Amino acid sequence: MSQQEVIEQPETRVSNDEPIIICENVNKWFGEFHVLRDISVEIALQEVVVVIGPSGSGKSTFIRCINRLEEHQEGRIIVDGIELSHDVRNIAAIRREIGMVFQQFNLFPHLTVLQNITLAPMKVRRRSREEAEAKAMQLLERVGIPEQAHKYPGQLSGGQQQRVAIARALAMEPKIMLFDEPTSALDPEMIKEVLDVMKELARSGMTMIVVTHEMGFAREVADRVLFFDQGRIVEQGTPQYFFESAQHPRTKLFLSHIF
Amino acid sequence: MTTMQERRSGVVNQAYYEEPAVKPPPMLAVGPLAWMRENLFGSALDTILTILGTLVVIGAASSFLTWAIGSANWFAVTYNLRLFMIGRITDPLIEARVQILALLIMFIVGVTLAAWSRVSVQVWATLAIVVALTFALPVLISALVPLPPTYLAAGQVDIVSGSVTETPLPQLGFIARAGETITLRAADQPTETDAALAQINSFTDRAANAVRNAAANRLSTQARIAELERLLAGDAITARQREQYAAELESLTVPPPVIETLAINQHPIEVRILDSDLEPLASASLTPDSEPLVFTVPASGWYVLEKSVAGSDESVGLLSIHGIYPIFARDFLRSAPGGGSPQRVFEYIRATDNFRLEGGRPRIDGQEVAAIGIIDHQYKGLRPFGDYLILSLVPLFNQIKLPLALFLLLTIIGYYSARLADRQFSTSLKPRRASRRSATWLWIALPVVAFVLIAGVMPSGPLRYSEPPLWGGFLLTMMLTAVGIVAAFPIGVALALGRRSSLPVVSTFSTLYIELVRGVPLITVLFMSMLLVPFVIPSLGGPDTAPYRAMVAVTLFSAAYLAENVRGGLQSLPPGQEEAAKAVGLSGWQTTLYITLPQALRAVIPALVGQFISLYKDTSLVAIVGLIDLTGVTRNVAAQTEFQGLLRETYVFISVIYFIFSYVMSIVSRRIEASGSGAARRI
Repeated sequence: MSQQEVIEQPETRVSNDEPIIICENVNKWFGEFHVLRDISVEIALQEVVVVIGPSGSGKSTFIRCINRLEEHQEGRIIVDGIELSHDVRNIAAIRREIGMVFQQFNLFPHLTVLQNITLAPMKVRRRSREEAEAKAMQLLERVGIPEQAHKYPGQLSGGQQQRVAIARALAMEPKIMLFDEPTSALDPEMIKEVLDVMKELARSGMTMIVVTHEMGFAREVADRVLFFDQGRIVEQGTPQYFFESAQHPRTKLFLSHIF
Repeated sequence: MTTMQERRSGVVNQAYYEEPAVKPPPMLAVGPLAWMRENLFGSALDTILTILGTLVVIGAASSFLTWAIGSANWFAVTYNLRLFMIGRITDPLIEARVQILALLIMFIVGVTLAAWSRVSVQVWATLAIVVALTFALPVLISALVPLPPTYLAAGQVDIVSGSVTETPLPQLGFIARAGETITLRAADQPTETDAALAQINSFTDRAANAVRNAAANRLSTQARIAELERLLAGDAITARQREQYAAELESLTVPPPVIETLAINQHPIEVRILDSDLEPLASASLTPDSEPLVFTVPASGWYVLEKSVAGSDESVGLLSIHGIYPIFARDFLRSAPGGGSPQRVFEYIRATDNFRLEGGRPRIDGQEVAAIGIIDHQYKGLRPFGDYLILSLVPLFNQIKLPLALFLLLTIIGYYSARLADRQFSTSLKPRRASRRSATWLWIALPVVAFVLIAGVMPSGPLRYSEPPLWGGFLLTMMLTAVGIVAAFPIGVALALGRRSSLPVVSTFSTLYIELVRGVPLITVLFMSMLLVPFVIPSLGGPDTAPYRAMVAVTLFSAAYLAENVRGGLQSLPPGQEEAAKAVGLSGWQTTLYITLPQALRAVIPALVGQFISLYKDTSLVAIVGLIDLTGVTRNVAAQTEFQGLLRETYVFISVIYFIFSYVMSIVSRRIEASGSGAARRI
C-alpha cells in the first residue's frame, strides 16, 4: 500500500459544515412493490457510512438512487447542493461528483486496464492523453497494481479487477464514492486486498457509502452504520453502538445470525 | 461400529514436501497419432465408421476425378476466363484499370498482413515456388506430353452410324503460326481393328466421329448378342424374359467390321495444303505404310487442307494430323478509335494454345471455306491423363500464371514496405502503429479508388466512364458484395440503435423498416429497386445504371439483417456495462460509441461474417434482373454454341471461386475474434 495521503478536504459547493448528501423522505416503488420507504439520511463530508442488512432490504437500491442509476418517485435527494431531478444536466453534474464500484466490477472488457481508467477523464473531463495516463498510473500504484496497466480485464484476477474498478472511479476525482457490495464476488484471499484499498481510501478522507457484508470492515473504518430492513432504516449509529449495544429487536436478530 | 472419536483418529496428519516432477506426456497420449487413435479408432463403431467413411470419400473423389479428367470439357472455363472474371468489358483501357485495381488490392492485403499478422519468409518462399510451378509446369508438360492428333476423314462416301449420316469434307480451313510443323499421316494403329477405331480419343471431325461411332455400335451390338446368348443358355431367367431375349436376339444382326465396309485406309489419301489464296504449297499421297507429309508453315495465317481418296468411291480415309487443331470463332463490334461506325471483327482462336487471328478466312467459289471449328471437331472419347494435362491444365496455367505472379509480387511488396515503415516510424511501445494506420487508411481509401477506376469519373481520357451494363463476372459479384457490406454497415448500425431508442418515432420507423425488408425475398427487393429507384434518384434511370440499382437493393436488404444482428449483440451485453459507463460520467452517445457498440460488434462477428458470406452468394440473384454476375456468366457460357450444355464444368469452377472467398472471410473473422481483448476474454 502507498503511504498515507494528506487528508485534504475537496472543494464542494456546500460549505464544509453542511451535509454533502441529503435524502428527505425518499420513496421508491418497483411496480407495486414499495422498495424504499421514507428514507431520510444526511451524510457529511468525509464521512464513511456502511449500509448493512438482509438481502432484498433495499440497500443497493438506495445507493443506486443517489447517482440516478435508479429513479426515486417521491422525496428529495440533494447531492452537494444539486437536487436530483429529471433535469439531465443535474444528473450529469451529480454523476461527475460520484464514483461507483460495482459487485460485478463492470470493467470494459474490450479496453486495457489503462484505457478503462483514462477513458472517462479524456472524454468527459477533456484531459489530454498524457495527463490522463499519468493520473491513471498514479492511481494504479495507489491500488497496488501498476504492472497490470496494459493487460485486459479478462487477464486479471477478481481482486485485481475490483481494484482497477476502484482506480477507474477515482480517476474522475469524485467527491463521493459509492460501493455496492464490492467484495461479494471475491474469494477470501482477494477480499483482503480490496478492503485494504478501501481502508486506505477512507483514511485519506474520501466520503464513502459502502454496502457490504464485511462486518470487520464496518467495525474498523465506518463512522456510521445504517441497518436496512424491508425498505427502511431500522437503526443507525456508530460501529461501537451498533455492534455492541443495538436496541431494536430486528437489529439484534440480524446480529445474532452473523455472530 | 466405530465411534466418532475412533473414526477421526484414523486420520493421518501429513504435509507433502516432495513435488512430483513435471514430465512430458507419453507418446501415444498426445499428438496426431493419439488423436487418430481416440477419435477415429476409439471404439469398434468408430473404426467401422472410419473405414466406411474413407471408402465413401475415395469413391466420390475418384468418380469426380474421372469426370474432371476424362470427360469434362474444360475449354468452357479456360476459354471464357475473362468473361468469368470481368464480364463483357472489351475496352482494353477499362480492363487495364480493373487489373490495376486488383494489384492495388493485393498490395493493401500485403500491408494488412504486416500490420496484424506475421508471415514468415518460408510461407512467401512456398508461395513463390507454387507460382513458379505454374510457369514451369506448362513448359515441362508441353515438352513431355505431345498434343493428341486430330483425326479427319477423307473420301466421297456417306458414312452411316445409327441415324446419322456424315460425309467427309473435301476442304477444311485451319490456322497456323509461322514456323510450326504440320505432320499428316494415314492413321495406322487406330484402323487395324474395330476395337481400335472405337477407342479413338482425340479431336475428330464429324465424319471420323461417325466412323468411330459405327465401330463402337458394332462392338456394343456384338457384346449384347454375346450377353443375350449367355443369358439364354443359363437358367436364371423367367419364361417371359426368355421370350423377350430371344426376340431381341433375332432382331440383332452384327454388321461386318467397319474397317471393311468402309475400306478404311485401303486406298491412298490424296492431300494438298493450300494457302489462303488457294495456291498449293504441298501435296502427298498417304497410305499407312508411306512416309508422313511434313509441312512447315511459312507464315501465320489461314491455310486450306484438301483431302480425297484416290481410286475408290467407297473407301474412307482416316488421317491422323499433328499441328491442325480446332478453333473458336467469335465476332464482335469494335468501336473505331478515330470515330466512325463500329466495325464487325471476326476473330479465330485455336483451342489448344489460344493462337489468335483476325479475319482472313479464305473463300472458295465465293463461299467461306468450312473451318475446323470446335463445335464440329470436339474431343471425343475418354481423355487419358496426358491429354487432360496438355489440353486443360496447360492452357489454364498459361492464363493464370502471370496474374498469380503479379498478385504475389504486389502482396510481398506491400508486406515488406509495411514492415519497413514500422521499423522507421513506429515506437517501441506501439510497434505496429505505422503499418496499422497505413492499412486502415488504405482500406478506407480503397472504395473511392475502386469506384474511380471501375466506373470512371470523366467523359474522356484515361479515367473515362465505363459502361456499367458490361460489368460482369467476378468483378460484379465482388462489387455488389463490397457495397452490400460497406454501405449497409452504417445504415444497419443506425437501425439497430434506432430500434432500441426510447423515442417512439425513431423506434417505430426502424422496426417497420427492418420487418418489412426482412419479410420480403431478395428477388423482390431487386425487382422493386429496379423499378422504383429511378423515381427517387432520377439519374439512376436507364438500363445503363442497372448495376447501381442492384447495389441499392443489396444495400437496403443487407442493412436490415445487419441491424438485427447488431441488435442481438447490443442486447447480449450485461447491463452493468451501461451502468458503469453512466456511473463514470459518459454521456449516452459516448457510451454507445466507446463501450456498447465496440463490444456488441465484437460479440456478433461470427453472425455478421455469416451474413456477409451469405450476401456474397446471394448476389447471384442479380442474374434474374439482367446483370451477368459470376453465376450469370455460366448461363452465358452454356448458351454459346461451342459449350452448349456444359454446365457442370462452369459450376465446378465458380463453386471453387465462391468457396475460396467464403473461406478467406471465415479466416479473417476468426483472426478478428481472437485479436485484442478477444484473446484474453474470460468474462
